[in-house]
Amino acid sequence: MKKVININFHSRVIPIEESAYEILKQYSDSLRKYFANEEGRDEIINDIESRIAELFSEHLKKGANCITDADVTSIINSMGRPEDFEAADADNTMNTSSSAKQQSSTSNQQQYQNTYSYASSGRGKLYRNADDKILGGVCSGLANYLGIDPVIMRIIFVLLFGALLWVYILLWIIVPSQSLQSNVTKRLFRSADDKIIGGVAGGLAAYFNIQIWIPRLIFALPFVLGFGSRIFHFGFWDWDGFSPRFISGGLGGTLFLTYIILWIAVPIATTASEKLEMRGEKVDLNSIANTIKEDLEGFKGRMDKVGTDLKEGAQRFSTEFKTTADEKRKAFSAEMSGRRNYNSGFGHVIGVLFKAFFLFIAGIVAIALFGALIGLLFGGLAVFPLKNFLLAGSTEDLLAWCSLILFLGVPLVALMTWLIRRIVGARSNNHYLGYVFASLWVIGLVCTIVLFSMFARSFRTRDFVEEDVTIAQPVKGKLLIDVMNGRKSHHYYSREWYGINWDNDWPLYGDNYDTLLLNTVRVNLVKSKDSSFHVHRLKFSRGRTQAEAQFLAKKINFDVEQQDSILLLPNGFGISQHEKFRNQQLLLVIEVPIGKKIEIAGSITNYNWFTINFNHRNGFNIRDYDESDDWGDAYRWHSNTEYVMTKDGLERTNKNYKDDEDNNNEDDDNNKITTPAPKNNGGYRYKSNTDSSKEKNKKDSIKQKKSTKEKTKEATTTIDKPVAKVDNNEQVSSPVYLLATLFQ
Amino acid sequence: MNIENTQSQMRKGILEFCILSIIRRGEAYPSDIVEEMKASNLNILEGTLYPLLTRLKNADMLTYRWVESNSGPPRKYFSLTDKGLAFFKELEATWNELANAVHKLANKTESMPDSTNQNPTF
Repeated sequence: MKKVININFHSRVIPIEESAYEILKQYSDSLRKYFANEEGRDEIINDIESRIAELFSEHLKKGANCITDADVTSIINSMGRPEDFEAADADNTMNTSSSAKQQSSTSNQQQYQNTYSYASSGRGKLYRNADDKILGGVCSGLANYLGIDPVIMRIIFVLLFGALLWVYILLWIIVPSQSLQSNVTKRLFRSADDKIIGGVAGGLAAYFNIQIWIPRLIFALPFVLGFGSRIFHFGFWDWDGFSPRFISGGLGGTLFLTYIILWIAVPIATTASEKLEMRGEKVDLNSIANTIKEDLEGFKGRMDKVGTDLKEGAQRFSTEFKTTADEKRKAFSAEMSGRRNYNSGFGHVIGVLFKAFFLFIAGIVAIALFGALIGLLFGGLAVFPLKNFLLAGSTEDLLAWCSLILFLGVPLVALMTWLIRRIVGARSNNHYLGYVFASLWVIGLVCTIVLFSMFARSFRTRDFVEEDVTIAQPVKGKLLIDVMNGRKSHHYYSREWYGINWDNDWPLYGDNYDTLLLNTVRVNLVKSKDSSFHVHRLKFSRGRTQAEAQFLAKKINFDVEQQDSILLLPNGFGISQHEKFRNQQLLLVIEVPIGKKIEIAGSITNYNWFTINFNHRNGFNIRDYDESDDWGDAYRWHSNTEYVMTKDGLERTNKNYKDDEDNNNEDDDNNKITTPAPKNNGGYRYKSNTDSSKEKNKKDSIKQKKSTKEKTKEATTTIDKPVAKVDNNEQVSSPVYLLATLFQ
Repeated sequence: MNIENTQSQMRKGILEFCILSIIRRGEAYPSDIVEEMKASNLNILEGTLYPLLTRLKNADMLTYRWVESNSGPPRKYFSLTDKGLAFFKELEATWNELANAVHKLANKTESMPDSTNQNPTF
């Protein structure tokens, strides 16, 4: 009983058996291929088909109900098959030579042959295989591209898990997915017939065309040997991670693992065509029949033992034969390399688990990136009000905008688009969007780099200005240093500035929209050369050039007020948008004469001193106060403590220093630290600089000496050593000098 | 050497000429042409004939007209053009030459001159 369909064939309706129709269609296709290069191909084919239609009509007229397979076949025979055609001539000018005819006819015949061979598809480009995928079809697509079995690709990926994981994820994201037809003729399967445990050895044997016992031996022998020896050694209970050591250790263990992997990953060959593919034999009707016969024999042999009957075998034979015959009749290539269903449940579960795991990790990475980008973006926006203080010039401004948008914004947008596309499932064949994003981001990166370099250059040099502050000598011989608070000075700080909440940790306060308040202030105490108090103000600033630095330094406004014996310092100093923030610092040096007292109030600790350094070796860093910032011979002091200046330095007037309230950020060191007498002239090493470079060198040497001294000081944490230093000034300073010269 | 190949070559050489001969006698329909060829013991497949006819038509050797038929789709009836006729005449001349030459060569019986008796010429 066969299905009959009606076809519209050259304006006639012809009832024809479905199978006959398939034959006809095939013939038509073969004609089309044969005449592919022929001029007038369509006409020729039309003529031929017309003739066939005519023959059909005649046949029907004669009394047939429909056209059968036999009818079609006989008609085709009389028309002739393409390979039988002669005088196929590519040359239309009738000036033919016999060789040309021969050539063209053979080439046409070859073409015709090709249509019946396996279709190879998509060899040129790499795609992910949409049909045959466990996770993302990456391995399958790669294997298709390279012409090898996907399973082998998978095994490679699993074995080189660590290294290839990122490759896998990258490919998964980048490579587009497409429905690919398989173009391998030999695939690794597990053998269903030859199996003891999982048929892995059988499949391998078939693939490599070796005897079955070879892979079996390879798997079994080390395992058995290892097993034997180790069980004596380790016993059953010694575990090594995942499994008892006697299994997992050594070569046997590796092979055991390999076996398991193969068992999971490699599909089992169930249908006859799969079995043929396993052996790499050509899958056509004959070979299928042979395979089935072989199967049958093996099957029968086994079944004989159990005692089931031939009926089953014959049934199977006939049904498989029929189905494969049908398969053959349909378009050959499409069917033979069609979808493979991976029904092995275990492997499927593992695959799903892996997939979930990967997605999870990828999701976390994506969320982290996302969050970081948003954070940066908002951070950028938050410090936006500061921008005017930091950046000078419209170029920098523009660069800042560009880098913000392109460097930070573009990845954000790209990430979001990718997510959305992934969710929606939209696919695109071209990656121009990715390229656009990438190039924008690169531009943003360049902008950021340029911006930073320009910005850093504004901080390149440092200069200072020194001023004297006239004060009246305190009557009682004691000076108290305190900070103004309240609204007395016209500098006040507000906790809210541009909607941003500052707290005391920030060294900046917003004064008003035009001014930024800095409290990068420091107080140094030194010994006075005469019997009076002196106060000096050193204003530091950085700038692109020395002149600019000095100019900005001069602009610092720090007016000290005196109320008899109290010296009131402002909370900080302001810089305007015009002046820009260039790490302006103020150092207040107070000379205390010998015999006089001085005390520094706790409010001084509210000052936050920091230095921004940028040099080519260390890059960019911000340093809190440390001793190298001290000038001259500054003495350490603790706040809220009264000191008296002696010829040896500052001394606490209050002798019990054990229970100090120590609430500044000084080192908790002893209180009798002295420094050797200055080597140069008896005054201060810092003078208003006429020659900045010389000054700079001196400063550098001072700094180095200070740092080496610091090092030696740190090395000696006991109290005694500094006393020794005092005693042997010369001896101490000369090794220090030596070290200093070393550093120069 | 494959004899079928040579035979096929021989056939291919004369196919056009034969077909033109048939059409020269009158308007012909492809299937009629096949019948005629068969009647003269020269079998040709329709699949070979159609391309040939189309080529000849494209080279303006033949022309055709559609004739409606009640037993199927309309048919093409081919006839010779003037150019086709001239072409046929030339082919005929060539064929006659060839036929004579081959006939002569194939039917000679005297043996070739003996090469050992000849005096070598310097």
